[in-house]
Amino acid sequence: MSDKPERFIDDEGLRLDGRRVDEIRPMKVEMGVLSRADGSCYLEWGNNKVLAAVYGPRELHPRRMQKPNEVLVRYKYNMASFSVEDRIRPGPSRRSTEISKVSGEAFEPVVMTQYYPGAVIDVFAEVLQADAGTRTAAINAATLALADAGIPMKGLVSACAVGKVDGQLVLDLNKPEDNYGQADLPVAMTQDGEITLLQMDGHLTPEELEEGLEMVKKGCQQILEIQREVLVSRYGNEDEEGEEAEEESPEEVPEPEEEEEERDNSFDNEESEAENSDENDVTEEDEGEEDERQ
Amino acid sequence: MSGSEVISRLKRDYIYNLMLKGEREDGRQFNELRDIALETGIIDKAEGSAMVQYGDTQVMVGVKMQVGTPFPDSPTEGVIITNMELNPIASPDFEAGPPREKAIEMARIVDRGIRESGAIDINKLCITEGEEVWMVFIDVHVLNNSGNILDAASLGAIAALMTTTVPSEREGKGEDYPMPVREMPVGISLVKIGDEMVLDPTYGEESVCETRITISSNQDGSICSMQKSGSGSLTPAQVVKASKIAKEKGEIIREKYLLEI
Amino acid sequence: MKRKIVYPGLMLSENEKQAGTGTYVQDGKVYSLFYGVANDKNRVTVVPFSGKYIPSPRDYVIGYVIEVTSSNWIFDIGSPYDGLLHVSEYPKRVDSSMMRKEIGIGDCAILRIKDVNTSMKVELSMKDRGLRRLDEGRIIDVSTTKVPRIIGHNGSMVSMLKKESNCDIFIGQNGRIWLKGKDEDINRLTQAIEIIENKSHTSGLTNHISAFLRYEESDEIEEKEKPVPFTSSKKDYTEDACRKVDMLLSDEDES
Repeated sequence: MSDKPERFIDDEGLRLDGRRVDEIRPMKVEMGVLSRADGSCYLEWGNNKVLAAVYGPRELHPRRMQKPNEVLVRYKYNMASFSVEDRIRPGPSRRSTEISKVSGEAFEPVVMTQYYPGAVIDVFAEVLQADAGTRTAAINAATLALADAGIPMKGLVSACAVGKVDGQLVLDLNKPEDNYGQADLPVAMTQDGEITLLQMDGHLTPEELEEGLEMVKKGCQQILEIQREVLVSRYGNEDEEGEEAEEESPEEVPEPEEEEEERDNSFDNEESEAENSDENDVTEEDEGEEDERQ
Repeated sequence: MSGSEVISRLKRDYIYNLMLKGEREDGRQFNELRDIALETGIIDKAEGSAMVQYGDTQVMVGVKMQVGTPFPDSPTEGVIITNMELNPIASPDFEAGPPREKAIEMARIVDRGIRESGAIDINKLCITEGEEVWMVFIDVHVLNNSGNILDAASLGAIAALMTTTVPSEREGKGEDYPMPVREMPVGISLVKIGDEMVLDPTYGEESVCETRITISSNQDGSICSMQKSGSGSLTPAQVVKASKIAKEKGEIIREKYLLEI
Repeated sequence: MKRKIVYPGLMLSENEKQAGTGTYVQDGKVYSLFYGVANDKNRVTVVPFSGKYIPSPRDYVIGYVIEVTSSNWIFDIGSPYDGLLHVSEYPKRVDSSMMRKEIGIGDCAILRIKDVNTSMKVELSMKDRGLRRLDEGRIIDVSTTKVPRIIGHNGSMVSMLKKESNCDIFIGQNGRIWLKGKDEDINRLTQAIEIIENKSHTSGLTNHISAFLRYEESDEIEEKEKPVPFTSSKKDYTEDACRKVDMLLSDEDES
């Protein structure tokens, strides 16, 4: 185990890894890395390596766990045996169980649970390598995995930790700061700045808490920006082609509102003609239904 | 029950009919491997690690070492412990919970391949005879199951071991040294569909096959471990044929991926 | 008509009357619910890149039997919700003991969704014309969001596909497509459908596919790239992102 450093912040205001007090570690992201999962994201943050996967919505068994009017969001945080210096025995621990609970709760306010009553959305976060801040890294990856899986959400969730070392508030703790620091406050936020995960270890005065929350909000905004960039840059080309296509022959691309008319057209033409008239009558009703669902 | 074990009859018929024509779903020959990718040293916190891909199947193997006590009947030998979890992240069919018979069998097959080949010189893992030896934990973490996680795990295990450093300094037991590896076993699995033996199955092929046979072979071509799995049966001729394929493909994989390490 | 890539929480319009499918309204503004493509014709709508099939009454679906009870067949319809086919909705009278012989576990069928109640209990029917057990052919899976494109405007695309491929085709709303014909024809048709999925946003697609099926055109179906472990180095987003946020924050301070 590393010995406790004498100082965490030098005279120039630089931390042990060269960062300033309000700088986050470098982050690398890749989406859609697992073919069997409905959505997935691999994320590196400092030396953290986490993999998030989403399966769902899917059937939930046993029946007694089903919520009649909502989907269940089930989050499972797990650390690989080899992810830390001292090997972890496989299987859930009390720590991972707690993190799973509060991390799932970080997403419940944003997932539109009423869309899939009785079903379950399973989120799996695997820590392949740990380097302080794994729960926040996992949440950041899970947000992208949920988006990748096409889960309806009010917005993205971003997470970051703030802590205190040498009496100074610092953003995104690294390992020594986490081990020997005076406070550790991981936070997850929606894009509106609503806090959906909050935990704290250590000592902070009320003023430090307020200042710390301001600092971590900025950190979460930076991460939100990264998440947005990853999402938008993934399908960059499609956007351009789409714009050209529109000009050439707009009638080629069926509009979502007209979907109702086309439902029966998979039958042979004679059959569909008979049924088309029914469908046209039905169209307005269907549109009405759709509006209600929003 | 989405994610249930039931396969649609049409899908089953399709794979079977393809096999009768000598074809496979992804266009491969019966004896053809998918594209394989291997990267080692990706987890710094582990003493050794490897990430393996067989097509879309992705498996990560980590090697961790601890000081422990030897077995009473082998006071100078290090201890190898292989663990494999089929975690639900890797497939809609995997369930949460402690490993069940399939996972345990697979872990033991991977273990057998490493152990019986003598890949690790466990006598060089002795610290103090009768008191302290190195425990080698081989942890297989399946990330995405697109079929044949067993072979991917076997390759990952030997690749991770070959790039492992014994962490003596950390434990105050002298100087670090590379893991004493003296063999490069490669595990090859074939599944039986109808009367044909098919190499490196996809998960679709695994779900319609009756039987699997896994064979590990060494650099000198000798077979060091075998396992038949599943409810069907094999003729002796099929076993011999499978072992020939295993040796041939084992050589190819060894040359392409392991000798470079 | 503008199309752009959107994600959950992105504001699409300040006029709540414009809210269409795939969006939600908060404080009078319209936001995206999904990661997908937004269109703003008369209403702003978002089509997700991916998503599960959610059963809807009157939809035609392709399913397979996963369980048989004394009075129901339970079908997997590629959805978080299974479908129930009651014996009374089968085209002929079947005794409870004969149910498995009529349609057994693993058998595939074309069905219609009769009703979906608030607890998402899905009732199926096989009584309409054309609904039946499928004994031959192949079923492929496509993204449910692409189904309208594969059917086409007034069925234009699927009619062309049937004609040019010489195959029987049935498209289920649940993203399952049944194909029947000669092996080579089905293979070509499967490739064609894959092209439609990948190029659904382009124009002139019907003609391109038609030519493809006649072997007059080929398509550079992307060579599957050799797998690269995702642990290999990727783009570092941090610097750009932090700079952007700093700029945004300093703009806020100034205004």
